[in-house]
Amino acid sequence: MQMIWKEAKRYSRIYGRFMKFSVMSQMEYRTNFITAFLIETAYLLIKLLYAILPYQVGTDINGWSPDAILLYVGVFTIMSGLYSGLFFTNFTQLPDKVRTGSLDVLITKPISLQFAVTLRQFELGYTIPNVLGGSVMVAIGWSRMGLPVDFYHIGGFIFFIAIGVLVAYSVFLLPQLLAFWTVQTTGVTDMSNSVFETNYVPMAVYDRIIQRLGTFLLPVFVICNFPPMFVMGGLSAGMVWWAVLAPIWLLIIIRVIWRYALRHYSSASQ
Amino acid sequence: MQKEAVIDLSFDIEEGEIVGFLGPNGAGKTTTLKMLSGILHPSDGQASVLGYTPWERKKEFKRQFSIVMGQKNQLWWDLPASDSFELNKLIYDLDDTEYKRTLDELVELLGVSEQLHVQVRRLSLGERMKMELIASLLHRPKVILLDEPTIGLDIISQSKIRQFFKTYNKTYNTTILLTSHYMRDIEDLCSRTMIINHGQLVYDGDLKSVNDVIGSWKLLKIQLSAPVSELSLNGYGKIRSRSELEVVFELSKQDVLRKSKEILDHLPVIDFTIEDIPLEEGIAILYEKGGLPHAQ
Repeated sequence: MQMIWKEAKRYSRIYGRFMKFSVMSQMEYRTNFITAFLIETAYLLIKLLYAILPYQVGTDINGWSPDAILLYVGVFTIMSGLYSGLFFTNFTQLPDKVRTGSLDVLITKPISLQFAVTLRQFELGYTIPNVLGGSVMVAIGWSRMGLPVDFYHIGGFIFFIAIGVLVAYSVFLLPQLLAFWTVQTTGVTDMSNSVFETNYVPMAVYDRIIQRLGTFLLPVFVICNFPPMFVMGGLSAGMVWWAVLAPIWLLIIIRVIWRYALRHYSSASQ
Repeated sequence: MQKEAVIDLSFDIEEGEIVGFLGPNGAGKTTTLKMLSGILHPSDGQASVLGYTPWERKKEFKRQFSIVMGQKNQLWWDLPASDSFELNKLIYDLDDTEYKRTLDELVELLGVSEQLHVQVRRLSLGERMKMELIASLLHRPKVILLDEPTIGLDIISQSKIRQFFKTYNKTYNTTILLTSHYMRDIEDLCSRTMIINHGQLVYDGDLKSVNDVIGSWKLLKIQLSAPVSELSLNGYGKIRSRSELEVVFELSKQDVLRKSKEILDHLPVIDFTIEDIPLEEGIAILYEKGGLPHAQ
């Protein structure tokens, strides 16, 4: 137990360094940083349109009121900020690392390779506008719906956001692991992006079969739907259990494939 | 497509030895080092380094060895090397005082104290290589695998890095396996040489017998300002190849200076180089002469 605690401490300190170094590196190229920041802010406005539209129409969409949709779009925005800031760059660089053999040195370090590769880069410029903008939307939606502001609701909301982050990590890392065999994965990245974009609207909008598939088979809907559904009281006990099990199950799958893939790693000749 | 890079290669290395791994491009040197460091998983065969099977990638093993590849880097490009060192301290879980002592010593030995806080991307190739070495040695590995550590460096940096490893090996009795296609690296550092070609060991022994064969001939390449007659080229040494304005002579090591001087004096030379016989040819000569006294 003490060993686990010690390792957890070591890993979190290393992760802290990764974040710090990433931000320091980005500050070396300020124009680039500011551009990324501005582009993300522009995307934020597009997301805002999805939230405003229901107010203009003025009707509920499959049981979601305009305020609920605002809350939902807020969660989606926070999630895109976290996903693109914490994971996206790392995932899309994985094929390149396989192709150029730059995994080589990392493999020989006494640290989990999966950790070192998938969490190394942190993009502050993607995270800030989305997490801030999303939080504002959530706050407005939350108060307009008169949802309780207590430990149970806020704690639960944050818990389901964390679940969403873990699920996003697994679901979108999975296809990139193909890189160990195919080396190029641009097609897969495009596909992943469009899968992520299905989250622009609540899953209630989709057909029942698609809802099922997106909740249980490839649980992309768990990422953005569960936090608002929880605070609005729309999450059944069974779904809560699934929310807890899904990331564990997915992380195990990722781990198994990762290990298998690494046995096939062929490096690059120079 | 599968290609067999290494086939049937067996050797033992004692603690504290510096062994040179010599061979032409594509001979399988790097592949062998990658297997010994656990980067690659061989399709068949065994290896034991410090009692561990490298490709099991045990943490205790990783803490005791290091691989340095001249063409790969581990430092954060936009940050000073000192930051990457700090990160390695955390990764290897090094004790504060021990880390400081090692770092100071390495920085001193390699003479890079001034560059420690300069972003890696602003360093020269030689300085960067020295920083890479520091990053790889902070945890005081017992075994060091070096893959072309001096590639692309100027002669002064090359010699400094060789000197560094000599001292380091003497002080800590570290085992070093080194690949290079610069003969000088091997000559200077290694008491024992293994030559590998087409993934197979063709020679294992001291460098002297190899040098007697490969190092006893030099190639003098000259560029001429005007064509010269066949006759005026005679008498200097064996002509290996010639075109209108370029001639390559094969000269014995003892004669090389004297003959070069004569050639430069008597022919309209505008440029010249003196080189070793390419390793591939050296190996072929070794084969032909049956000159493989210790071959396995």
